[in-house]
Amino acid sequence: MFSKILIANRGEIAVRVNRACHGLGAQTVAIYSQADKDAMHVREADEAYCVGPGPVGRSYLDVANIVSTALATKCDAVHPGYGFLAENARFAEICSDHGLVFIGPKPSVIAAMGDKATAKRIMKEAGVATTPGSDILESAQKARDAAKRIGYPVLLKATAGGGGKGMRVVERPEDIDRAFASATAEAEASFKDGRLYMEKLLLQPRHVEVQVLGDEFGTVLHLGERDCSVQKPSHQKLIEEAPAPNLTSKQRHALHEMAVKACKSVGYTNAGTLEFLVAGDHVYFMEMNTRIQVEHPVTEMVYGVDLVKEQIRIAAGERAAYVQRDLQARGHAIECRINAENSQNNFAPEAGTVSHVEFPDGPGMRVDSHMYAGALVPPYYDSLLAKIVVHGETRDEAIARMELALRETTIEGVHTTIAQCAEILATREFREGRYDITFLPRLMAGAASR
Amino acid sequence: MSDEKNDIAAHVRALAAFLVANDLQQICIEREAETFEVARAPVQKESPVRAQPTPAPRARVEQIASDRVGIFHFSRTTPYVGDVLDGDRELGYVEQLGIRNPIRSRGAGRIVAVLQADGDLVDYGRPLFEVERS
Repeated sequence: MFSKILIANRGEIAVRVNRACHGLGAQTVAIYSQADKDAMHVREADEAYCVGPGPVGRSYLDVANIVSTALATKCDAVHPGYGFLAENARFAEICSDHGLVFIGPKPSVIAAMGDKATAKRIMKEAGVATTPGSDILESAQKARDAAKRIGYPVLLKATAGGGGKGMRVVERPEDIDRAFASATAEAEASFKDGRLYMEKLLLQPRHVEVQVLGDEFGTVLHLGERDCSVQKPSHQKLIEEAPAPNLTSKQRHALHEMAVKACKSVGYTNAGTLEFLVAGDHVYFMEMNTRIQVEHPVTEMVYGVDLVKEQIRIAAGERAAYVQRDLQARGHAIECRINAENSQNNFAPEAGTVSHVEFPDGPGMRVDSHMYAGALVPPYYDSLLAKIVVHGETRDEAIARMELALRETTIEGVHTTIAQCAEILATREFREGRYDITFLPRLMAGAASR
Repeated sequence: MSDEKNDIAAHVRALAAFLVANDLQQICIEREAETFEVARAPVQKESPVRAQPTPAPRARVEQIASDRVGIFHFSRTTPYVGDVLDGDRELGYVEQLGIRNPIRSRGAGRIVAVLQADGDLVDYGRPLFEVERS
């Protein structure tokens, strides 16, 4: 086991990883930006070092300062959390070159799966169903040809993309040239990689993802699926649940089998998530995230597994602590993301100081947060303040428990998504578990059934 | 080792012995196209006494801080409190992943505080020196 781990992240996930490290007897080193000097993750780590000013490019993405901190403090491993450098193959490689264990998959796997077009090709070769689409499109002409073959409507996507950047829905042939040009420019500006590929736009699909864990000995386990279809128009998830409601056992089985098969085909190690689109009876692979996900706690609640501890153990060369037949889902879990956002301003992220915080507590409730009275919410980072997670024996019980948990949650000083989450839980579509990725945009536009 | 390299090594050894025998910090010999410079490395035990950072910088006193995370070392000519800086001078460097990132005085003045010891781990924004500007 590692003796000292550098946590290359901030916010709630840095606090979460710190807890797992301490639980395994490892010391921790936090990094922080000047904007985060009083943050909870800084206070809870054994040591903490400033790596730069507030903007992420000069702090949480400064590879030289982060690796230098790990070496100077004699860390033996680096946990990247999610976001920032978590899916940066070059960072994983640099860690390895300097004798630091990167807690995640091998750099070559991160690189292959991080490139969405490559990942789809690998999955296709492994016999995993993918949405009808194209390889990299070198020109608008190639995009026109691909769209004609696939059939409108289509989705142009950035191969290096995420968070909806470099993505365009194209419904008619006459719109494709303009969409190709603007998506290329946006992808280039956002990821320094303007390459696009195309997918068939599925109407009203559900976003269902499968959690996997692989060790260095060839074992790949799945820990069931999560439904993450409650997404904003920007594709940002707001509520997640496990297991996914209203899936047939055949669909569920197909998802799990595909995920394990895909991971085995690329020699996947550590924690990962395969995202699928479920449309009618069809299940299509969408992309893979080679890291821990924000919504991992819902899986932990139903499987009773500490995924972050498993990540660390596996990276330290241990065998997975479970066999597949031991992993049985129990009950139902739901997570609500409480973000600092202003509903009066189109849910734009909000910075400020949190003046008062009260979180729910009781059986089947968990809160992952870095908030405290007086905590600063800097403008530079994502607006996640807390994840409220509940577990119930049934989905109905979990919904009722979440409604109670949201009523017991108070965050003052910034606007939050608490009321929006409560509004979603109260809708018939959510209660019946019959929602898809169009649900929240329709609700926000006042068009969803209440 | 080639003869030429042997010659250079012998030169350096002779200069180092001269340095020690005469209790000098640095010696520089220039002849024809060659320049030899030999200096004693600052010894940690002899490094200046660490002072506490001044709570609020006084007027005309500027803090020089690290902008990299790494191990701080003094330059070959160890800076001391009271040293008068005639112009821009390298006071030390932060070693990061094998690269030396120089710390410069950024102009003339007088060193009024040396805040880190040789070999200290410093992070971003860590004050290293205080310089009174004239």
